[in-house]
Amino acid sequence: MSAHPDLSRRAFFAALPAVTAGLTVSAGAAEASGPHWSMLVDTRRCIACQACTMACAMENASPEGQFRTVVATYAVTGADGQTGLSVLPRLCNHCEQPPCIPVCPVGATYKREDGIVLVDGDRCVGCAYCVQACPYDARFINHHTGKADKCTFCSHRIEAGLLPACVETCVGGARIFGDTNDPQSDISKRLKAADGKVQVLKPEAKTAPRVFYIGLDAHMNGRVNGASAADMMWRPNQQGG
Amino acid sequence: MNTTVEVLGFAREPAWLPWAVTYFFLIGISTTAFLLSLPGLVWQRPAWRGISRRALLVALVCGLTGPVALLADLHQPGRFLNFYLHPNLGSWMAWGSFFIPLYMFGLFLYAWLCLRPQLAALGRSGDRFSGLYRTLAYGGHDNPGAIKAAALVGAIGAALLMLYTGMEVMVVQARAMWHSPVVPLLFAVTALSGGLGMTSLFEALSGNQSAAPLLNRWLERSQWAGLLLLMVWLLLGLTGLSSAAAEALSAMQGDFSWWVTGAWLFGSTLLALWLARSRRHALVLPALFALQLAWAVRWTVLMASQSLPKMGATSPRYFLTLTPDGLLGIVGMLGLCLTVYIALTSLVPWDERSDA
Repeated sequence: MSAHPDLSRRAFFAALPAVTAGLTVSAGAAEASGPHWSMLVDTRRCIACQACTMACAMENASPEGQFRTVVATYAVTGADGQTGLSVLPRLCNHCEQPPCIPVCPVGATYKREDGIVLVDGDRCVGCAYCVQACPYDARFINHHTGKADKCTFCSHRIEAGLLPACVETCVGGARIFGDTNDPQSDISKRLKAADGKVQVLKPEAKTAPRVFYIGLDAHMNGRVNGASAADMMWRPNQQGG
Repeated sequence: MNTTVEVLGFAREPAWLPWAVTYFFLIGISTTAFLLSLPGLVWQRPAWRGISRRALLVALVCGLTGPVALLADLHQPGRFLNFYLHPNLGSWMAWGSFFIPLYMFGLFLYAWLCLRPQLAALGRSGDRFSGLYRTLAYGGHDNPGAIKAAALVGAIGAALLMLYTGMEVMVVQARAMWHSPVVPLLFAVTALSGGLGMTSLFEALSGNQSAAPLLNRWLERSQWAGLLLLMVWLLLGLTGLSSAAAEALSAMQGDFSWWVTGAWLFGSTLLALWLARSRRHALVLPALFALQLAWAVRWTVLMASQSLPKMGATSPRYFLTLTPDGLLGIVGMLGLCLTVYIALTSLVPWDERSDA
């Protein structure tokens, strides 16, 4: 077993008994090359409860109204008149070709060897160029710091041997996090099992995201042609009141 | 056919604020006004002599104030140091941090060399500031060779500034409206429109109507070029030759405000064109329309386009509020421009009579 957490929440608990035994097992090939963290979102399991949104906000102390992860929720009415729920959990895609990195004028955004894209807060100047360059709208300028902010895959938790807060709290087990360099990891097995059915957001952007989706409606993977309830709403903080 | 309603959407608020529009507007005007100063002050074209002096004043006023808006956009101005401590040379914005001082150095050196003889003359006037003028004149020699060299540095800086401000926007694939080779050209052409407009306005302020026909002739050319580029972008999108422009147009569909924006851009350009053609001796009206085109293009590209959703269906609308990063910032920058204008015109007379 890898020394890093690379399992979904359920599998993580299932594997706990093996932890002590695992301490004596020699490091595998996966460790030699190091982990490569990815996330698989099984939208069929997501019930849009926003527990992940809240867990992330609490864990990372996001300013009010600013979120590192969210679950966009849609009411889709088909040709037969039936209306159903469709969801899109969104977060930083920790792309292999992240467009946010080359544009950063001070090199504050970088990609670690384990695949996680991070922002060096000491270096960031808050120019928001990376926010513009992100095709997934995953970044924002933090109101408290005036600097770029985004999902970090809860790198601080991973380093402590924990799962990201959104994965930990997902009631449906829709978010599976792990090391895709380890063929025995749950995420690797699930990705293999779902071969051909796995999607990424905006594949045409050629960013090679490390957040994968199963069960995603094809027309949800980017800008959605549809009405927005938010656009119809009165917003007291913007429109007076 | 499916119909979709985003019940719970999360739209990011615009990340670039009116500071960015103000900076692009002022620095564009400064660079083009600098270029307008060359025919009269470097190549000594008699018809341009007065216009070029006013253009130099425009370049200084806008060049001094533009970077202030850029610094304000960083939330904490001291952060600019990181541009020089940790430059990422793969980023156009990083290059911009070097092009700005290059241009400023060239502009100030050029302006000083052009003004030196006049400063020396003021130093001989015997008033209470003559000592200051003598110091600033530093001998007061008229050195055409040095002026040409400084003009070359400034011109290189100006060209690089225009290049970087356009490319910085164009390379962003995630913003459909930005990702077009038309954008840098449109920025350059409308910067020229703004530079001519501001120069015309300064001419009007100094009561010099004789420059109007020449300025309006150039204003007409810049409006034609702006109109052509707007149409090229539209055609690229409508025909699908540019997937980014087509995507932007698709995202605008059904939103009445974009129809108004498009009609305003085309309509005001045509109106400025008509004014420049039919009112050859007018300065203020063509100038104001030319300036508004430069501002409106930047506002549309930099601010309005941020309301086109990248993900989902929710449009992150921007409302101009009376806050420091909104309307107060714009008014504040206008006030700063006015202050610098007053300071520079108080220090040195820029009208026709004072031509060195």
